Amino acid sequence: MLDRIAEASAWNVVAIALGTIALALIYGPLIWLGVMSFSAEPLSGKPYPLTFAHYGMLFSNDKWHVPFVKSVVLGLVVALACMIIGTFLARALVRLKRPGGVLFVALLPLFVPGLTIGAALFIFLRTTLDLRLGMWSLFIGHMVWAFPFALLLILIVTIRFDVKLIQAAEDLGAKPLRCFLDIELPLLMPGISGAGIFGFLLSFNELLRSTFLRGSETTMPVYNWAMASAQQSQVPIVFSLSTLILAVTLPLMGGLFFILFARK
Amino acid sequence: MTALALSSPPRRRWRLPGTATGWFTGWFLLMWIGVVVLPLLIISTFSFFSMHQYQIVYDPTLATWTSLVDTGRWVVVLRTIRFAVSVTLLEILVAFPFALWLAKGCRSAAVRAGVITLLTIPFFIDASSRIIVWRSILGTNGVVNNLLVGSGLIDKPLAWLLYSDFSVSFGMFGSYFPTAVFPIFLTLSLIDDDLIKASFDLGASRLQTLRHVILPLAMPGIVGGIVFTFVPLMAAWIEPQLLGGGQVNLLGQSIQSALNNLNYPVAAALSTIVIAVLVLMLAVLVVSLRGRFKMSSLFQSVDG
Repeated sequence: MLDRIAEASAWNVVAIALGTIALALIYGPLIWLGVMSFSAEPLSGKPYPLTFAHYGMLFSNDKWHVPFVKSVVLGLVVALACMIIGTFLARALVRLKRPGGVLFVALLPLFVPGLTIGAALFIFLRTTLDLRLGMWSLFIGHMVWAFPFALLLILIVTIRFDVKLIQAAEDLGAKPLRCFLDIELPLLMPGISGAGIFGFLLSFNELLRSTFLRGSETTMPVYNWAMASAQQSQVPIVFSLSTLILAVTLPLMGGLFFILFARK
Repeated sequence: MTALALSSPPRRRWRLPGTATGWFTGWFLLMWIGVVVLPLLIISTFSFFSMHQYQIVYDPTLATWTSLVDTGRWVVVLRTIRFAVSVTLLEILVAFPFALWLAKGCRSAAVRAGVITLLTIPFFIDASSRIIVWRSILGTNGVVNNLLVGSGLIDKPLAWLLYSDFSVSFGMFGSYFPTAVFPIFLTLSLIDDDLIKASFDLGASRLQTLRHVILPLAMPGIVGGIVFTFVPLMAAWIEPQLLGGGQVNLLGQSIQSALNNLNYPVAAALSTIVIAVLVLMLAVLVVSLRGRFKMSSLFQSVDG
């Protein structure tokens, strides 16, 4: 019986303990990041004395505004492109006899390390094609990273979609465009909006590909990286800024996942 | 439900205006190959060219590859492989039992959804702030050292906690744990419970069931977990840069600095090593998936 595995308590305890330690290694630093954003000396190990000074500095400092706005705009464009292309491709995939090959090519970037695809695109666009890099090359780099995730999310809903609904509507005299707008699109919407949110967040936080493809543009993660790796005095600001972004991102992600997977 | 839509195409032919599946798929493939496959092919061929006064000389040569040996860069390659192998091994050892519990042991759908959410969120978090905070945890003035010294366990702070092989591996472990768990979890949750029951009914012990039923069926997922951990680790850059403190030089940093110095052939050759590892591992993955892959089954586990 399965119970014998489930109730093999020693095995379970080890498994849960290992997983909890691993998750603690991911979330511990995030919590610590939040704590240290209130610390007077963020790069020391002491949270005390507590201070709002870094948040004050953050709001009086405007150097991060331009990168922030650029990241938001780029994220929105990537999200929109992910939603549109993802919907078309996911609809096409479930109607293909052999979707395996196309799916493999579409998901290939998931396997390629960010640094590798970043360097490859840089050499291709900058050296081979001799183009000036900028927001457009950042867009390509971000699409390559975000699109496979978006596609997977939309595939979840297109696979569940029952083609008979369309056939019924056609029997009742609906035109193809009406069928798509009134029947198919609303049913696919949870996956499509999920793809948009994923696309935005993946683009907004993308660093590895951006470092190579940015030309002279600076996005939010690139700015954070410059501050963090140069050990500049700006690091406390990065802590506060990341904490604020996390405070917005985490509940959003949690809610999205609850809607997508847990609510039945 | 889902298999139906895939295996038996609708009897009646119908299509949508301007969204016909054929041309869109073709257009997408063309674009995608242009921005994904082509750049990877080009960077691989670049490693067979050379530079002369900051100009690329398009004459095939092995000079770049032999220079990797002369300049001692192969040591960096070997060191990177050592890091990637040891961290991947650790990931799989921790991820497999956890994934088995998540797929078969965990009874509550809410707990499972919660854990999956926790494993997914790190994909959406800015890497540099997440990694740099380790400095304030592992540093000589960091939390761990403060606690250890404060409790009297040690007299002076442990210096090897930060800017060492240890801190780099530590940062890498957290970064790549979710990608190791997911493929294993997916294949494990696709295993039919009846197979496990049957194994017990036939008198197999837990260990025998694990070895002869679960492990073989989970093999594609384990290979997938290795691919998703080992390959990106070969090109890891953020962790060694922020937590190595200049002490730990890995392949990713070499690629980055070669590109910064406009030394494209060397950057290309080092990237080609990563791409070769990727192709090799993908081939193993495809072989292990052969005949067992159905697109509809990909999502059964998240369907609950």
